[in-house]
Amino acid sequence: MLDPAAPVRSHYEELAGNLLGIEGTGIVVVTSPDPGAGRTSVCLGLGAAVAGMGRRAAVVDCNLANSQLHRMIGEPNFVGLTSGLEDSKTLEHHGYEVLPGLLVVPTGPVLSDPASILENEGVPKALRHLQASRDLVLLDAPVAWGVLRSPNLSGSFDGVLLVVHASRTPKVAAREAADDLLAAGVNLLGVVLNGCT
Amino acid sequence: MTSSSGRPWRGGARDDTSLSEILYVLGSRRLLVVGAVLILAGIALLFGLFREPVYVAEARVSVEPRGKLDSEEARLAFLEEVRGSVVTQKMLDEVRRKAGWESTPEEFSERLDPETFAGRNGGSGLLIRFAGDEPGQASRVANAYAQAFVAGVDDLGDRPVADGVPVAEASVEQRAVPGGYRPRPLIYAAIAAGAGLLLGGAVALVLEGRASGWRGVRDAELTLKVSVLGSIPDYSPERTEG
Repeated sequence: MLDPAAPVRSHYEELAGNLLGIEGTGIVVVTSPDPGAGRTSVCLGLGAAVAGMGRRAAVVDCNLANSQLHRMIGEPNFVGLTSGLEDSKTLEHHGYEVLPGLLVVPTGPVLSDPASILENEGVPKALRHLQASRDLVLLDAPVAWGVLRSPNLSGSFDGVLLVVHASRTPKVAAREAADDLLAAGVNLLGVVLNGCT
Repeated sequence: MTSSSGRPWRGGARDDTSLSEILYVLGSRRLLVVGAVLILAGIALLFGLFREPVYVAEARVSVEPRGKLDSEEARLAFLEEVRGSVVTQKMLDEVRRKAGWESTPEEFSERLDPETFAGRNGGSGLLIRFAGDEPGQASRVANAYAQAFVAGVDDLGDRPVADGVPVAEASVEQRAVPGGYRPRPLIYAAIAAGAGLLLGGAVALVLEGRASGWRGVRDAELTLKVSVLGSIPDYSPERTEG
């Protein structure tokens, strides 16, 4: 996925081009109707494609209840988003530069209720600060109902990207998620159809 | 392949099913739809070609009240009263005998279709249709029924048919003539094909609503009514956590 020669790279590049073509998409929340749609993979692949285009991207794991990002890059989860909320350093210092231009920030240690951490007023501030040095910040977020329950994730950033899996995501669930997001006033930027055959 | 049309779904009525959505579903399940059309049209064609011919003959009896009945409803009610008084089992036995009917009384009743009528500008009576296996048989029965009905009305004499309803006068206005049989297998097939299209289309839409898999970008856009910004092939299924 991070390999520029990977066969999926061209697809992620097309996705990156479409996403960057939408104005005002500095911080994008990536969610899905159900678990297992491939949000984390899409975040990493998309971030790698953006970095491969000579832009600067960051992927931040906001799925505090079920963090996956650090596992996918093979790094420990000792530092990350929660670390950035507790000290004065920016998130640039709490992530891993896995590729030139791609910063990956895990959740960091989650010692209290994940939902209350996400609603910390420092979260949007820290992410906006990170955005200042990045062309695109992707938030690997919980599933759609988790995003809707979080005022920070549903209302503090520039838009939401909905990932659906071609064989694992039921159509009904995807339609309900899209409807609920739009009904809540979320700026639904578009859909990524993952796992096509 | 991704959407190139920007974000076309915004502001639209998300619950509305568009024509393009229906056409897409029908197109993607065309085997089902075409199959339903062909099967029903084929059955109708065979039915039209090989069915036993049915000849329908029609006789018309005029029945007029002696007094004046203003409304159409009143005249129809009067005719029903007359029919109820005249048509008896005995009369039907007589009709069958005169027409040379050899099959069962039940089948006779199924093939017989008498209907009262009352025009707005006067003219009321009984229309007698009979569907026979031969043209002669159909007209014989229709005429026998018409004649028996007229005789039955004559037998009523001056007797009032109902409260305040005057006695009727009746005559055979039009005798039944042996008719031809025109099979229309192509018309049957065309109607059945239309029914097959509706049936196949309805089944396709129901199946689509229950489907869990996604066929592609167009399918996702039509289902979600949100632009698809990208599609990622399934090259590494083991790495799609989250």
